Formats: sequence, C-alpha cells, structure tokens
Amino acid sequence: MLIRLKGGRVVDPVNDRDGVGDVFMANGRIVAGPSNGREADEAYDVTGKVVMAGGVDIHSHIAGSNVTLGRALMPELPALAAQGGAAIDPSPDAWGAYATGIRYAEMGYTTVIEPALIPTHAIEAQIELASIPIIDVGALVILGNDDFSLGLLRDGGREAELKDYVGWTLGHAKAIGLKVINAGGSEAFKFNARTFGLDDVVPDYGVTSRTIVKALQRAVSELGVPHPVHVHCNNLGIAGNVETAVATMEATEGLPIHLAHIQFYGYGAEGEQGLSSGAPRLAEAINAHRNVSVDIGQVMFGQTITISGDILRQFDGRRGAHPKKWAIDQGDGNGTGVVPYEYRAGNFANAVQWSVGLEIVLLAEDLWRVLFSTDHPNGALFVRYPEIVHLLMDRDERARMIERLPEPARHVSNLASIGRELSLSEIAIITRGAPARLLGLTDRGHLGPGAVADVAVYTEQKNKTAMFASAHLVFKDGTLVVRDGEVVNVTWGKAYHVAPGVDAQIERRLKAFYDRYYGVDPSIFGVPAQIAGRPDRFATVPCLN
Amino acid sequence: MATKQKGEGADAASALMRAAQLLGRARFPVIGGLLTDSDGAAAALALARKLRGVIDHAAGEELARGSRIMRERGGCPASFGETRNRADVIVMVGSGPLKRDPGLVKDLFPEAKGLPRPGDHARELILLGDGPVEAPSHVKLTEVGQGAHDLPTLIARLAAAIAERRIGDEAPDDTLARVAMRLRTAAFAVFVYSAADLDEPALFTLLDMVRHLSITTRAATLALAAPGNGDGVNLCATWTCGLPVRTSFAGSVPEHDARRFAASRLIESGEADALLWIDALAEEGIRRPTGVPTIVLTSSGGAAEEGADILIEVACAGRDHDAALYLPAISGIGMVNATHPNKDKPTVAAVLNGISDLIDKREAA
Repeated sequence: MLIRLKGGRVVDPVNDRDGVGDVFMANGRIVAGPSNGREADEAYDVTGKVVMAGGVDIHSHIAGSNVTLGRALMPELPALAAQGGAAIDPSPDAWGAYATGIRYAEMGYTTVIEPALIPTHAIEAQIELASIPIIDVGALVILGNDDFSLGLLRDGGREAELKDYVGWTLGHAKAIGLKVINAGGSEAFKFNARTFGLDDVVPDYGVTSRTIVKALQRAVSELGVPHPVHVHCNNLGIAGNVETAVATMEATEGLPIHLAHIQFYGYGAEGEQGLSSGAPRLAEAINAHRNVSVDIGQVMFGQTITISGDILRQFDGRRGAHPKKWAIDQGDGNGTGVVPYEYRAGNFANAVQWSVGLEIVLLAEDLWRVLFSTDHPNGALFVRYPEIVHLLMDRDERARMIERLPEPARHVSNLASIGRELSLSEIAIITRGAPARLLGLTDRGHLGPGAVADVAVYTEQKNKTAMFASAHLVFKDGTLVVRDGEVVNVTWGKAYHVAPGVDAQIERRLKAFYDRYYGVDPSIFGVPAQIAGRPDRFATVPCLN
Repeated sequence: MATKQKGEGADAASALMRAAQLLGRARFPVIGGLLTDSDGAAAALALARKLRGVIDHAAGEELARGSRIMRERGGCPASFGETRNRADVIVMVGSGPLKRDPGLVKDLFPEAKGLPRPGDHARELILLGDGPVEAPSHVKLTEVGQGAHDLPTLIARLAAAIAERRIGDEAPDDTLARVAMRLRTAAFAVFVYSAADLDEPALFTLLDMVRHLSITTRAATLALAAPGNGDGVNLCATWTCGLPVRTSFAGSVPEHDARRFAASRLIESGEADALLWIDALAEEGIRRPTGVPTIVLTSSGGAAEEGADILIEVACAGRDHDAALYLPAISGIGMVNATHPNKDKPTVAAVLNGISDLIDKREAA
C-alpha cells in the first residue's frame, strides 16, 4: 500500500532536506515518489505541518530491575509530577511499561534505548521492554564494575579475553551497546569508598577508572560494535567535575566514546557558593574532541526520581531525597541506587544545573555529537521533552525562565547571554538523525528511501511545547499509530541488538567463574531468542568488523 | 487440555467458554494464587484490568509487607551473590529462613574463597533468635538466643545495642553488646530474613538498624524469596501498573491496598463474586480460598478439583515449558528450561489470553 503525506514541511537534515514536499511510504519503508504517476492508496494532506522522522532517544531509563525498583519505591511519582505541572496522568500506571510506549508515541518518538541493563537481570529488562508497545527499543548492558572484567585487567595482557567477554556479554543480554558507569567506583564502594576519581585505584584489583574505561573502549571498538562505549563518568554531580569530564575525553586518544548525561559533569567551582557553570569549558572540549559524542541529561524543575548504577553517588545523594525515602541495592556488578528528587527553580544548585544543560547544547559547534536527553527520569521525566525543545528554540522562553532563578545562579551561568535559537532542522539532528547514526541504526532517524517508515507529523506553531507534546500523526513501520495526539493503533516493535563473534572458549571460562562464585550456570540469565511469547522480537544490528 | 466442569469431563472449548461467561458476568472478580511465570502473570494482569478485578498472589501477605516497607521508607537490599562473596558477617534473623531453605547456610558460606571482599575478618554467621541451626565446620557460628523475648523484641534490642542506646532501664547484656560491636566493626554485614516471619514494625526496625550501620560501614538485607514465584509476579505487577499485587483495577486508576485487596478476605467476605485461581508451579501446601464460583487453572491434575466449578489443566512452568521465574541465586528473574517438555498442555498465558479473547467476542456480539 502506497501512503502519501502531501504538502508538509519536510525536515530531514540527514538528507539535507528542509522544505515543502511529499513523503511516501510503502510496505513499512520510506520510498521515492512514484515516477509513473501512480496514485497513493492513502493520502494525508499535511499542509502547514512539519514532517520529521520518528524520534530516537539514546538514553532513557524505561525498563529493568533498577527502574522497577524505582516504581516500587515511588508509585506516587506521576501524581507528584502532575501536581507540579508535568504532562502526565496522576496514576501509578503512568510510568508502567504500557503507558511508556503510548506516551512516547504520542510525542512522535519511535525508538528508545534503555541505557542500564544489568547482565544478570537481562531477562527481566528484555521482558519489560517487550511489554512496551509501539516503539522499537535497544538496551546498553553494563560492565566495568564486575569482577570478571576487573580480574582480567588486574592480570594484564588479557585484552583478547576481555574483548571476547564484552562480546559474549552483549550477545548474552541481547544488547545494542556497552555501558560503563563510574568505572571501578561501584567496586570501590563495596570496600566502603565514598568518592572515586578517574585515577583512583580499585581496591584489591589495583586498576584505575581510566584503565577500565580505556580497555572497554578498545574492546568495543575492536568488536566493531557500531555504538561506541557509553560512559557515565566519575564524580557525577560534584562542583568542579568539569575537569573529570575533560580528562576523560583526553584519555580516549582518539577512539570513539559517548559520554552520557554530560550536564551532570558541567560544573565549575567558581563563585561565592563554589559552584558555577562549566559549560563553556565543557563545550570547548567537546568541540575539540571529534571522537567524542555526548547526550545532555537536561534538568527540568519538578518532581522526579533518580535511578543509577552509580551506587556510590546515589548513596551520597540519599541525603537530598525528596520525599525522604531511598533504596540502595547492593547487587552484582554495579548495583543500583534509587533516590527521589525534586529540582526547584529557587534552589541555587538546581538553577545552575538547568542552565548548564541548555548552555552545552547552545554552545555546540557540531550538533551531530551533542544529543538530546534528560537521562529520564534522572534530570526530568521524558514527558518534559517538548518543554526543553521549546527552550532550545526560543530565547524569550529561556528569558522567562531565567527570571525565576535565584540571582546568584544567574551570576555563575552564561545562559542569558546566549542568543542562539535552534532551528527545526537542528532539533531533528539532536532528536533523530544523530542518535540513530550513533547507534548504528542507519535505517531510521531520516526520511530517505529505504528508511523504516517511522514518521512524525507535527502542527507548526510558535508554542513549541504544544507542538511537540502531541503529534498530529505518527506512523510506525508505515502503520498509522497516532492521530491528533492520541494512539489509534497499538502495535509492537522490535528490540535491536548486536551479536559480535567471539572465541567460544570464553563461555567455558565464564561457566567456571559463575559456578565457583555464584553457584549458577550463566545460561539462566541469557536472553533466549523468543521472549514474552514474541518469536520475532529481536533484530540484529550488524557489527562493523 | 484436560478440563472439567463441576466434576464432569468437558471439552476444552466449552470450559474456556464457560470460564469467559463466568468471569464476564462477575461484578468484582479476583485473580488469585498466581503461581505462574512472568508470561502468565502478564496475562493475568491484563485480564484483571479488562475485568475490573483484583490480582493477588498466594504469598500476598509477605509480599505486601515487603512492598509497604519499600514504599514508605525504601530499602538496602543486597543480592545473594554479593552476600555470598563479600559479607563478612551474616545475621540470620530467626530460624525461619533456614526452614524455608535448608541449604541456605551452605550456599552462603562456600568453602572455596570468594571474590575480593573488604576487611580481613573471618566470615561469621550469627543466628539471631532460637535455632536450630547447622553450620559447616569452616563457618564460625555465634548464637543469640531469644531468652524471654520474642523475635521482634530481640531485633529491637539488637538495634538499640548497635546504636548504643539503653533498652528501657537495662544496658544490653554481654552477648548482645558483643554482637553489636561485631556488627559495628564488620566490613559488610547482611541480615537475612523472611518477611513471612516478621511483622511490619520489625521490618522497619531491621531497616533502621542497617541504615544506622551504613553511616560508617556497609550493611544490607537479604530477604528470602516468596514461594510460588511471588517475587517474579510482584515485579511483573510493578512494571505493568506501577503497583504490587493486591491491586484492584475496579476504579479509574489502579489502587493497591494490602488489606482490602487480599484475595482471601475478598472471597471469604463475599465482597468478590468470582475467583480465577492459578496454580501452575506444582507447589504444595498452598490454600485456596473458597466460597464463590471458582475457575481453577492447575498443573496438579485432579488434586485441585475440590470446590472448583471449572477446572482447566495447564502446563507447569519450568517443568512442561521454559519459563521466566524469579531465581534467588541471581536475585532476579532468570530462565528455567523445561525439565520434561510437554506441549500437550496449554500455558497459563495461552489459557488466559484465550479467555480474554472470548470475553472480547462476547462483548462485541
């Protein structure tokens, strides 16, 4: 069936397109317009609308035992967030799996990456992901605080084995990439460390965070995994930590790396309160290191919950819990910390955080390496994305918000002096084209022939919050799933993963390791080809080697 | 599929149709037992939502206690693997955990050296409360008997001793003071308990004690898994609707209440008017409430027949078919391959989805 979207403003930066025209879909793919004058079987007049590829979210905690621990801790989150004005139903249901897919689709998102899959809990995460309708998904599996990696690094000279182990873990968990969270920091926490920097040494193993990150970065690169190692740096949320982020970039020696939720590392230590925006320094470093990509982790004011495998940071953060409850799960590998949090406009530190995220985007020279995220739910719930797009596109909207901030926060931020307003094309880069490209999902994030027919149509208007909160039309694989901001057809997507080739010997060694230390066979947490009764659930992203 | 209606053999299609009729007519049905895998739990949740009914698990009481503590204050759990490898002191809270899992001490104290762990203390087991406890010879064992106290009181006395608070007019006795000191100097102390044995105040005290220790050192809890894949079903409920079992879908938003929505109370009071009971893990000793029209999905054959209006035999998760179940050894959901694969019997998920489709057709007709 040929579908035609007629007369909309097509914004497709991957294909250098921004102008009025048509988009055609057939058999779940974007196709070129018919040359033989064939009429479309279905046509939609989208005059006055903006047509983009479906959104691709590179970093959003939507599933897994860590997220569900958050749900168990805080079923009232949607109600509290709604009280603060967030566009979310005030029901515990609203951050369940089903509602997650529905809301993403309503906003025009069609692919979302869960960035913290715990290897031994991969099955739960994949079942949860399979319970999310409409969107396609992928997951990043966590290593870097696990004893097997650390043991190989301690012994030295076992790079090939580490590479096989990374490949095996990616395949076993059916993940699309590798995540490293405060490398070595969670292991150090097990020895009661309460801080851990890039060059601190992991007790007993004698390796530094720098060593771990570099080794895993190299392993991912040599395996040919399209998405570079996805790193949550040390010292998250600490004044002066911009130097940690810059040092991490410098340590990469030109190999690709993705630094997650970079806003949380954008802090200087200037000013009377010892906290200031480090965004200019950070942006300068990002601009200079062309092997580095980042996502923002923008903060928005309101109630949320922080969920992180950086257990050391979360343990410290428990003191700021709001409401006053928290969970520290001392699990295998990284563990997880869950701490409710309310960002307040009147709070100096929160105001600086809010400014820093926006500054980093607005100072970026190459938006193909500076991607959109809130690190949902850590900086803000994903339902707040339209408000952030609005802020990035409208300096008057930013000025209105800046007026609400405490005077001292304005003094240590540069946001008010930045006049840049992102164009629709630039928004399409950071929310579509760039994340898809960085994930190796080259069949999406754009509207060129051959791409999957994931398309979002928005009603163009000055109020960008309203524009992006509810899409006029959304197509998933060519099927109309949203009309006028409401889901009209519930479909079920795929989970994308890589399957690197590895030396089978690694499996024998891991079997012995898990048998000795955990009394289990690792097959019990390997994700089977069929999950949640869905035989066609998984699809492979080819490795580059 | 073997099926029966009121003790008479019935064909599968007829049994499913009657089940759909019974549930479709019900004003306030309960889906209970829930002895099933993740797929079965997901199908049960979807059906409960459609029927505007309630979901509960056979181990709902202890699951609800754990859920309430988490919701009110949070938690400090450790995984089984971390406890086994890195805890230098493991406190067994009462002998209940050992009754539930007789191999627990052996599994937590393997003879082989574990992963690198903090501190240089020899590993030690402390039994808090009355035994019996059997520990292998390589395990240092300290027993703190209850004396005249019940277990919750003993927990409270230990918490006071750890915080160096007096207990009423008394100073802690020598044993308690020594154990408190041992815990304060432990590198990683883990308290192992079963929520089935402890009331909510005792669980709150336990958490406070762990958090007090965590100010200066590391401490955590390890709760024994509930029987019948209770933790797996509870997780599934939580990721599906944001709430644990004992949740009602009768209102405009799901509502959880550990007392009001207990299956046994709803059935025995007559507040609910139909019961769909799921028993597909071949577990023994699970009591099914009676008193309302009942459909039973069972993998135990005729043993579950008594009092059932409709009985549908289903496959046993982990025996007849591969199943995602909560596995204590990984403190999470893992895969259990079928020990005796048998495709003749339908899974719980298949039966529930079939009933759901029939209800849709009835409504559409």
